[in-house]
Formats: sequence, structure tokens, C-alpha cells
Amino acid sequence: MILAVLFANSEGNILVERFNGVPAEERLHWRSFLVKLGADNLKGVKNEELLVASHKSVYIVYTVLGDVSVYVVGKDEYDELALAEVIFVITSAVKDVCGKLPTERLFLDKYGRICLTLDAIIWKGYLENTDKDRIRRLVRLKPPTEF
Amino acid sequence: MAQPLVKKEDDRDDEVDYSPFLGIEKGAVLQEARVFNDPQLDPRRCSQVITKLLYLLNQGETFTKVEATEVFFAVTKLFQSRDMGLRRMVYVIIKELSPSADEVIIVTSSLMKDMTSKTDMYRANAIRVLFRITDGTLLTQIERYLKQAIVDKNPVVASAALVSGIHLLQTNPEIVKRWSNEVQEAVQSRAALVQFHALALLHQIRQNDRLAVNKLVSSLTRGSVRSPLAQCLLIRYTSQVIRESTNDTQTGDRPFYDFLEGCLRHKAEMVIFEAARAITELNGLTSRELTPAITVLQLFLSSSKPVLRFAAVRTLNKVAMSHPMAVTNCNIDMESLISDQNRSIATLAITTLLKTGNESSVDRLMKQITNFMSDIADEFKIVVVDAIRSLCLKFPLKHRSLMNFLSNILREEGGFEYKKAIVDSIVILIRDIPEAKESGLLHLCEFIEDCEFTYLSTQILHFLGIEGPKTSDPSKYIRYIYNRVHLENATVRAGAVSTLAKFGAMVDGLKPRIFVLLRRCLFDNDDEVRDRATLYLNTLGGDGAVVETDEGVKEFLFGSLDVPLVNLENSLKNYDPSEKAFDINSVPKDVKTQPLAEKKATSKKPTGLGAPPPGPPSTVDAYEKLLSSIPEFASFGKLFKSSAPVELTEAETEYAVNVVKHIFDGHVVFQYNCTNTIPEQLLENVTVIVDASEAEEFAEVASKPLRQLPYDSPGQTFVAFEKPEGVSAVGKFSNMLRFIVKEVDPSTGEAEDDGVEDEYQLEDLELVAADYMLKVGVSNFRNAWESMGVDFERVDEYGLGPRDSLAEAVNAVINLLGMQPCEGTEVVPPNSRSHTCLLSGVYLGNVKVLVRLQFGLDGPKDVAMKLAVRSEDETVSDTIHEIVASG
Repeated sequence: MILAVLFANSEGNILVERFNGVPAEERLHWRSFLVKLGADNLKGVKNEELLVASHKSVYIVYTVLGDVSVYVVGKDEYDELALAEVIFVITSAVKDVCGKLPTERLFLDKYGRICLTLDAIIWKGYLENTDKDRIRRLVRLKPPTEF
Repeated sequence: MAQPLVKKEDDRDDEVDYSPFLGIEKGAVLQEARVFNDPQLDPRRCSQVITKLLYLLNQGETFTKVEATEVFFAVTKLFQSRDMGLRRMVYVIIKELSPSADEVIIVTSSLMKDMTSKTDMYRANAIRVLFRITDGTLLTQIERYLKQAIVDKNPVVASAALVSGIHLLQTNPEIVKRWSNEVQEAVQSRAALVQFHALALLHQIRQNDRLAVNKLVSSLTRGSVRSPLAQCLLIRYTSQVIRESTNDTQTGDRPFYDFLEGCLRHKAEMVIFEAARAITELNGLTSRELTPAITVLQLFLSSSKPVLRFAAVRTLNKVAMSHPMAVTNCNIDMESLISDQNRSIATLAITTLLKTGNESSVDRLMKQITNFMSDIADEFKIVVVDAIRSLCLKFPLKHRSLMNFLSNILREEGGFEYKKAIVDSIVILIRDIPEAKESGLLHLCEFIEDCEFTYLSTQILHFLGIEGPKTSDPSKYIRYIYNRVHLENATVRAGAVSTLAKFGAMVDGLKPRIFVLLRRCLFDNDDEVRDRATLYLNTLGGDGAVVETDEGVKEFLFGSLDVPLVNLENSLKNYDPSEKAFDINSVPKDVKTQPLAEKKATSKKPTGLGAPPPGPPSTVDAYEKLLSSIPEFASFGKLFKSSAPVELTEAETEYAVNVVKHIFDGHVVFQYNCTNTIPEQLLENVTVIVDASEAEEFAEVASKPLRQLPYDSPGQTFVAFEKPEGVSAVGKFSNMLRFIVKEVDPSTGEAEDDGVEDEYQLEDLELVAADYMLKVGVSNFRNAWESMGVDFERVDEYGLGPRDSLAEAVNAVINLLGMQPCEGTEVVPPNSRSHTCLLSGVYLGNVKVLVRLQFGLDGPKDVAMKLAVRSEDETVSDTIHEIVASG
């Protein structure tokens, strides 16, 4: 299951956080853990270069995209490689929505659309759609082209 | 560093590029949400308000029940709009608001309408929303549509229904199981993701039916699976099938191995990795099977993608535990990862190298690790410390450089857990490697000179008190200990006073100087420190006369309490402060017997300072005290060995009895630990009648009955036998529990006056050769073997007959002899044809014994063994051969 998707700005302020199957009392802990992980390691990292960590049986893959940092947390079948796939889908879809690497302002301007995009990609902890074009159409309630 | 928990709206004031959500406030947004009720809906404005609501929710903001209900009702009005963008937002916000069961009804008809809509995308989204917010009752009404959706031409609709099914399986499995045929059809879909979701769901539906899973895997491994994600799932299910089938049949080729091996050449890295990992996790791997997987993992080690490097090194780290030799080929690639920017990768690389490295590479590795330690977090450092401790135990000759490394990192900055891990490691090394003792103690002494953790300081002081006096020059530790009295808080000062006193009691030459130091502590401003100093000075003879400390005094001050701590704690809690002083003799000495399995588990834990050595030493001490307090057994001499408790009753019977075998030179005492599990009974005059007719060399000399055995309060009865002195006699004893049973009135707890004599049959008990052997390990077997010499060496060969495996034969001989395996040689690598096992022990009469066992497979199953024994006594070497010959 994909336990969490989190976006933060360069100062570690939360822009989007979505948890699945994580008890409410543990969310604060995860939030600060992830942001600290980013603060410790993301400095100087190139856009979309993936970093990875694991804590017991939980995996974390994270990266930088323009002014925002993106974290995905998973366990079981969503190990580091599956999460790498998930974060790739997320970053390409976000770039697609923003039209370029997002600045914080641009990210917030497109906030509604980004929420819809995330909704199309992950559904309650499972990866549902991976194709950028299809996700763009789904957000606009258009059927996919390929069938 | 960033302030992680500050919300966006609290951001810097000088932000030039204002956020669209600047100053957003929940109350205001809820006010804005009234636009949803406008008769003339403005889709754009409504979408903006929903975005604001989502922003609040995504930041962890919560709505009260009333607020959520109000927004939800307003949102339902938006179904009137035909605007596509707005409809999409409505679907999302309904899911986020998660309306309660009684509110859902408001929206279900709109969603059901969308579910049967001609617009595909309405259908897909309506399915997702409905599943999120409804319970099982509604599902039966829409099941027909769902089944259709699973096989819908539009992959989005199919995926929505399939993923919904995966979630629904947790709550309503019986409904989802009815969809098997449709899901099976979807597995064949041409759309990659539909196939992925369908495969996941189908497997979950059938996961308890092994045959069905086997069939599923068989058919799919033959066909082509389009999506790499689905292929990964298939690999996982395949390895599950392999695991289960290997357990069933031990013969023949491994099924599906070729499929896994084929996946190593797949174009997607994800699939290659999954296959490699699946192969490494198979049981009983041959090196031919393992090599291709290791090769691809080795390639991944130098990948430009950190995720791949991490995955590969993580897997190799696991492989290194079971097949260290297979991983050594990757060592060069692994060494280059020590400087990897990603610290998780670097730590895994280090710990893998520590597992696979040989003695000659230790120094080089340590040099590399030293540079690396300064820039990783404590949690990674702890992993490295643990690995170094294991390495040192594996190569005791390298203790100098490894101990130096540990002492260096002990001086650097670090948190409590990290420092504790280092101290624990040093303590374990001191205990297990005698040569490392003095340098280790000095490192600990230096550490407490500048230690900020009271817990660690007191523990080290306590440990110094035990080990320091036994060293060649105990005086050199005194300065370190006395410094604590000057410079520390009261807890540490009190600990230091006790340690000083221990040195005074154990080392007579130091006594006068210790007394001077202790006298200075009499003016400490803490009463505990003063009290301790006074007590020690008075009991150790601090009045000026330097005499050898009386054993009784030593025992009183530093001996272990002869009551279980848990009982003492309970008694102290129940003690009512009054004029009558607390009497330690009133504390019950009986320990509630732990289940055997539990005891085994705890004694296996590696122990550092936090837990003093459990198991044998302390238990033997306690047994020794217990037995010597019984006059009948006082003349038996020194207790040689006490066995672990052997259960003589089944679990959950009326009376639970286990027995401990105590071995003396010319006697054996059986200690029967009895527990009465019936609340309505009181047992009196409990004895065990032992029939020793199958143990000819034993003659019963004493029996000590148990006067009373109330409910759930364990007690002991003893039976002692005489046996020929110094001889390891064996035999079988049958046991019968005999007692007088009295009824107890449950309301008053009082027993009736009259009782009835009764008996209860117990299991037989055997005394075997291993009972005369103490498990005592040696840190360096080769040195011990060489220094023992060939004078009393006895070598012979034995055929052990057909065995299930080499490992089984090795275990059987270890258990037969009851000796301590050394250097991890009790572990037989899978599929080995030969194996050498090294054992060490002390035999009855305190005779050191070393055994070298060489096993080989002779034919397909027959095991042959060469047994070489060296000991300090010729007859003992012969006895070991006799034990094996008769076993």
C-alpha cells in the first residue's frame, strides 16, 4: 500500500499531504520525519533525482521538483522500485499540469488540478493510473484515447 | 532547518510572490461554500471554493461534524451543474469529506445515476466515489453494474471497478468472490493496468486456495503479461508457489525456476530486480541457481539510479547472511558505494562488507568506515556498531583494531541510543574475548570521564566493580572511579562509592587507600552516598585494621539476593511502613516457573550492560544456594551442573510439574517444580515417588517433601540419588506425584480439615550423557585446540546411517554431547556435502574437552563422521567416544 504522498515547499512547509492506512496519531510523526529527511538530504540534489530510504519494512522515495519536494511512502508490494514508478508518474503529471518545473506559486495556482491529478493516480493507497496523457484526460473527465 | 509544522499561511511576510492561499481561514472558506446553494451556479467560482477546501484538508485541517455535514449537503447540489470540471471536483471533495452513513443516502441516487450514465468517465468516477463512501448494503443493488464495469471496454472504468474490488474484499469478501469469472476475463485484458489490477484482485480472491493459485501461476507464466507491474506481481506469486511446493516435495527440479531466471532478461528493471530478489529468497539454493541473480544485482550496484543501487545492496545484504561467499564477488562494487551520497545505500554497503569480509580485509574496511561515520545519522551508526561487534566476535584476533574503532567513536558526539550501543558492544567483547578485557575496561573508564548519560555512567561503574578487581592491576581504575565522586550527580556518585567498596572488598592490597577515599564520601551532601559509604566502611572494617574481608560480608554487600527480584518488589510494595522493620526473610523465594519456550527465547538475546548475564551463571548460583540450604544435600559438595527444566506434564493439566536435574560429583538431585492449577484444591505432603529400576547405578538417599501446595503458588519437592563418584551414569526414572488433596471453599478460601491421598502419573525422566557436560565456549578454537595438545587425543570414525540432511546429523551429535558449538560451526550451509563442526565444553570433574567433528555425505543420504577429541584427561576423551558409539 502507498502509505503517504507528501509535497512540501523548500522551507519544509506542507503543501499537500495524503495518507492512506496511517493512523491519525502517527501522521504528525511521519510529516516531521519526512520533512527532516528532505532537509538533511535534498540540498543540491538535481530535479527528479530520486533518493531512497527505508525504515523497518517501510520504504520512502523522494525527490525535488522545481521549488517543491515530493515524498512517497509505501510498504509491502510498494517497495522502493514500485515507489520509484509512482513518484515518476506523480512528477511527470505535476509537470504536465504546471507546464514546466513548478515554482511554489505555480504549484499553488494549479492546486485544484494537482489534487485531481493525484486522485487519478492513487486511489486509497493503490496506484491506479500511470500514463501522463490518460491522467490529463481523466482530470478533464475525458475518456482515454487508446481504446 | 525548515520548520516542518508551520502551515503555509504562516509563511514569511516578505514573500513577494503571494500565495493564492495567503491568509486562508477555515471559517471564511465555509462561508464561501454557500455559493453552492446559489440558484444560478457559477462553476468556476464553485471549483475555486472546492480547491480551497481541499487545500485545508490536505494540510491536516479537520472539519467538525456539523461543518462537514453542512459542506457535504451543499456540495450535493452541484450535481445539477453539467460542467465537467466542476463535476470532477465534486467527486473528489465528496471522497475527502467522507460523509457518515446517514448522510450518504443524499448522494447515492445521483451517483447511481452517474454509474449507469452513458458517459464512461462519469461511470468510472461514480464507482470510485460510491465504494469510498458506502457500506455493503447498497452494494447488492449495484452489483450487476459492477460486474459489467469489470469487463468494460474502457480501461478506466474496468480499473475503477477492480481497484474498488480490492478494497471491498477486506470488508465484504463474499460479494467480491462472486466476481471471479469477470476478474478472470479482465486478467486477459489488453490494457496493461487493467491486467495488473485484475491479477492483484484475482490472487487475493484465491489466496487461500493453493491449487487455484498454482493454476493461475502456471497459466500466466506460460502466457505473456503486458504490464511490468503485473509481471512483478506474478513473480511474487510464483515464488510463493515455489516455497510451498518445495515444502511438500523434497525431490525433483524446482518448479518455475526457469520462469524466474527468464525474467532476469526482461526489459524492465523492475521485473529484473523482482526476479533476482525472488531467486535469492528461495530455500536450499545451489550456487548454480543463485549466480545469475547475483550477477544482475551486481550490475545494479553501479547503476546511475539510486533506487536501483539501494534495492540491489539491500538484497545483497540479506543474501550475505545466508550465502556470504556468493556475495564476495560484489565486494569491489560494494566498496565504491561506501562513499555514495545516499547514506542508506552507504550503510547497507558497509554492513554487507562487514558480513562478507575476511580477516585480512578488516583493517582496510575499518579505515574506510572511519571516514564515513562522521557524516551519517545515529540510527545508521547503530547498525554499523552492531555489525562491527559481530565481526569482532567472528575474528577475535582482530579485537585490537575493532576495539580501538569503538573507543574512538565513543569519544565523538552522539545520542544516548548510539552511545549505549557502543558501550554494550564493548561490554560483550570484554566478556567474550579475554584478551580484550583490559583495553576495553580502560576505554570505558575514559568514556565515563566525560559522559553525559547517568544511566551509562552507573552501568559502567557497576561493570567495573565486577571486572576491575579481577585484572592484573586493579589500582589503575581507582582514579577514574573516584573522579566520579567529585564531578558527578548523586546517582553516579553513589554508584562510584559502591564500585570503590567492591575493589576494597576484593583486593586486600588496595583496602587502606580505598578506606581513605570512602571516608571522604562521608561528608557528601547526598544522603544515599553518605549511607553507602558508612555501610561499606563499617562492614568492611574501615576502623583501621586491614584484614581479609570476610566471605559473609562480601556476600552480604555484593552477593546476589537469594530472593527473586520480582517477589522482593511485590513485598516492598505491600509493606506497610510501621514500627516493624521490613524483613527480607518474609519475601517468598518461589519463582513462578516460566514456560520453557519463553526461557529459551530470553536467554538467546544478546546482552549488553542493560541486562546482566542471564541464564546459566545466575541460575546456577540460585540453585546452588537453594540446595545448600537443605541440610540433606549439604554434604554433596559443589554443584557441577543444573539442567534446564524438563516438563513432566502436558500443558494445561491439573498439576504442572517440571524437573531440574542437579549433578554433583557423587550424587544427583531431582528438583520437581510443582504448580497446582485447581483453585478448589490444596495439596499437602507432596512427594514424587521415583522408580529407578531402569537406572541401576543409582540409589535413592533422600527425599524432601513439600508441605503444602496451594493454588497457583509453585513449590518444590526434591529426591536425591547416590551414584558412583565421578562416573557419568545414565538411566531412566519413572515418576509418580503423591499427595493429600483437600477441598477448598472458594468463598472463604479455607481448606477442609480432612483430605484424601491421591496420586498423579508424571512422564518418565532420563539422565543422559549430555547432563554431565557444561556448555562452555572458547573464543578461539584453533588456539585452544593447539594448546590442549595431542597427549589425550582420540580419533575414530563412525557411520551415522541415513539422515534427512547433513544439518540434522550435526544437530543430533551436538545434542547428544551437550557441548557448546564454536565459531558458528553449528550452521550447515544448504546443500553442503561435507561440514566441520567445532565443540567445546567442561566435563564432570571440571575437565575441559574440545571436539572436532567432520561430517561427510557417503552416498545419497548416509552420513559418515570423523570424531577427534582432545581433553585434559584420557578417560574423558574415551568417554566422549563411548557416548557417541552408544548414542
